[in-house]
Amino acid sequence: MMNDGGNRIENRVDGLFNKFCINIVDGKKQYLFDEEGRRYLDAFGGIATVCCGHCHPDVVSAVVKQMNRIQHSTVLYLNHAIADFAEALASKMPGDLKVVFFTNSGTEANELALMMARLYTGCQDIISIRNGYHGNAAGTMGATAQSIWKFNVVQSGVHHTLNPDPYRGVFGSDGEKYAKDVQDLINFGTSGHVAGFISEAIQGVGGIIELAPGYLPAAYSTIKKAGGLCIADEVQSGFARTGSFWGFESHGVVPDIVTMAKGIGNGIPLGAVVTTPEIAEVLTRRSYFNTFGGNPVCTAAGLAVLNVIEKEKLQENAHVVGSYLKERLLSLKDKYELVGDVRGRGLMLGLELVTDRKLKTPAKTEIVHVMEQMKDMGVLVGKGGYYGNVFRITPPLCFTKEDADFLVDAMGYTLSKM
Amino acid sequence: MAFWGRILKRALQPARPSSDAAALCSSYSTNAPPQLPRFDHLPKPYKGPSADAVLEKRKKFLGPSLFYFYEKPLNIVEGKMQYLFDESGRRYLDAFAGIVTVSCGHCHPEVLDAIIEQSKLLQHATTIYLHHAIGDFAEALTSKLPGDLKVVYFVNSGSEANELATLMARMYTGNLEMISLRNAYHGGSSGTIGLTALNTWKYSIPQGEIHHVMNPDPYRGPFGSDAKAYARDVQDHIDFGTSGKVAGFIAETIQGVGGAVELAPGYLKLVYDIVRKAGGVCIADEVQTGFGRTGGHYWGFETQGVIPDIVTMAKGIGNGLPLGAVVTTPEIASVMAQKIQFNTYGGNPVCSAGGHAVLRVIDKEKRQAHCADIGSHLISRLKELQQKYDIIGDVRGRGLMLGVELVTDRKEKTPAKAETLHLFEKLKE
Repeated sequence: MMNDGGNRIENRVDGLFNKFCINIVDGKKQYLFDEEGRRYLDAFGGIATVCCGHCHPDVVSAVVKQMNRIQHSTVLYLNHAIADFAEALASKMPGDLKVVFFTNSGTEANELALMMARLYTGCQDIISIRNGYHGNAAGTMGATAQSIWKFNVVQSGVHHTLNPDPYRGVFGSDGEKYAKDVQDLINFGTSGHVAGFISEAIQGVGGIIELAPGYLPAAYSTIKKAGGLCIADEVQSGFARTGSFWGFESHGVVPDIVTMAKGIGNGIPLGAVVTTPEIAEVLTRRSYFNTFGGNPVCTAAGLAVLNVIEKEKLQENAHVVGSYLKERLLSLKDKYELVGDVRGRGLMLGLELVTDRKLKTPAKTEIVHVMEQMKDMGVLVGKGGYYGNVFRITPPLCFTKEDADFLVDAMGYTLSKM
Repeated sequence: MAFWGRILKRALQPARPSSDAAALCSSYSTNAPPQLPRFDHLPKPYKGPSADAVLEKRKKFLGPSLFYFYEKPLNIVEGKMQYLFDESGRRYLDAFAGIVTVSCGHCHPEVLDAIIEQSKLLQHATTIYLHHAIGDFAEALTSKLPGDLKVVYFVNSGSEANELATLMARMYTGNLEMISLRNAYHGGSSGTIGLTALNTWKYSIPQGEIHHVMNPDPYRGPFGSDAKAYARDVQDHIDFGTSGKVAGFIAETIQGVGGAVELAPGYLKLVYDIVRKAGGVCIADEVQTGFGRTGGHYWGFETQGVIPDIVTMAKGIGNGLPLGAVVTTPEIASVMAQKIQFNTYGGNPVCSAGGHAVLRVIDKEKRQAHCADIGSHLISRLKELQQKYDIIGDVRGRGLMLGVELVTDRKEKTPAKAETLHLFEKLKE
């Protein structure tokens, strides 16, 4: 897609994200700057990744300080950075979730989680939710459940259950009804015992879809009865983004394995899996090693991120500003027919555009137009959902009420002209 | 144990004048152990947690499966070029380079500068926006590759790169089966664990349609260095184990984790031919051998006189940055456009800037020639040791990717496991 001096960099995301390429060369807090120095409000956060803010001084200085000392030696030797960060991360977890594995991405984290579940239970079947996204390697591509992300390769051992989607789902917001489909899949599609269940608390790539209330506790219970482990994919919802520290907390469950990436390092390539000592033990049967994983620089950054989230009360900010933003977006819904749904929590919000509110026909062309107009006005948002008609609003958590107003005003202005 | 016997993957430094090797060897049995070469760098004083404290925390928070070197693991707190420093400021010669990863040297100033500069401007925005760093780096990287290998995908690790390469092979050919060598290592994720062919790293989970062919190992293989005989095994697997058509073949030119095992000369040429006739593509895993490490060539596969269809890389590519890449032809890349494949961190400005700086350093400081130069000096000195000590069964490798295999019996080639561990500890001391 992009042509650079005769050599092509292959990244075909046109159709899902904005096609109108802007050259982003600088970032500071919740703003990005293009080659001409023009400032944009970053309401996408590098896909829910930049949580503290671009080039946050505390994170940058932790990175630089560590870079100047040692970048990489692997965990074959000791270094305090990985241990300190693992301890701090574990302290953010409930229950017996205290063993950490570091990887370099969300995909790697989910791959490891799926393998651990299969090894721990001795079973193969994994259940994931339709419309979910968990990665693009061999195992995770199977768990991912949207055709656009699934190549025509073998992806065995995964069953995709009904999406408890309050807006488009058959059972509306009745979480328990959807959860019955999980039992059905187990009864009729597996031996009756499964390896586990993996889900996001709020589907990110899938268009900011909150799982219907009551769903997760019912699904978790069903899975546990079938001997399976519950994996919470917190790659997008984690690190205070939703107003709780972890997305699963707002569903009142405690998973067996938690995976994370994106916000964990404010953009540095880092991922992690946190589980119980009992489950972690399965990896001792053979050797698992991640060369870059847990390197001093990335773990120093991770620790700095945790400190910033606490010091700057970003979790509270996400909750306060996020609620305010959602209110204002709901007022857009009152005003404009094109806005079919507004949903999400904290600073993980979605706005779905439809050409017909009853039929919920995805407004695919309209959304592209609005996105382009907003960019021209200085607001960058994301796009997602199976039909590509949902605005994904996942800014850095230092987003302010003024930023929220600007975003809504820009969107409202555009909608009013259509 | 080949894994522990695999040493000598050094970061680099200009050569010292070489002395009479034989004279040096004869002095060993007598007096004091040899001393580290001089090095003008004072490590910063370390005021952080001690080795014991770190080990405690690791045991508690990082799981029982996280292993480490040495009876008493080293607390490595600083690095400079080819040296590492522990908490007491003691300097060590790093002959392993964070597992063949630190290519330019720890904290190489030019690489650090590039990374730090970019970190202050922009760490991450993703490739949904433009940024020059990724384009510039991709251009520089592809200029180092032969043939039509000019399309780059950036990822975050060798595992991710090999996963993507396997996906491409299957999509492009429409076939299912993959072939890899016994004793190979290609990663630890669901797909790559199947390609990996060493039981230590393989967990008991389904691992797909993979065939592991005889390893063309000149030292331990049943056919010595007879490439033709080993290649016949590949044809056999295709004829009897598959539909006759395969997706692809993947190999390291010198097996890293497997113990610096060089593929028998002429092997890849024969096998590439066989695989392509069966409709498959050829993948060169350059995660350890790439970036001039083998001395004679920039890429390991060049030592076998072949041009692969897909090349994967990681480790040395960023001098330690979490970075990996897959390079292939426009024709193969075109099949990826059928769906969407996206890597959130891949190609971020900081890693791209770092990677680009690494390429510049390798060229500017003539590191490839240096690897050839020092590598041949090193291998000849190691061969002298082999003359002297029966326990050294084999010395092999190229450039600065060398291996020394210890055996208790040269005829039987019985692995000297305990002795290797002992030597390993002593060398550290």
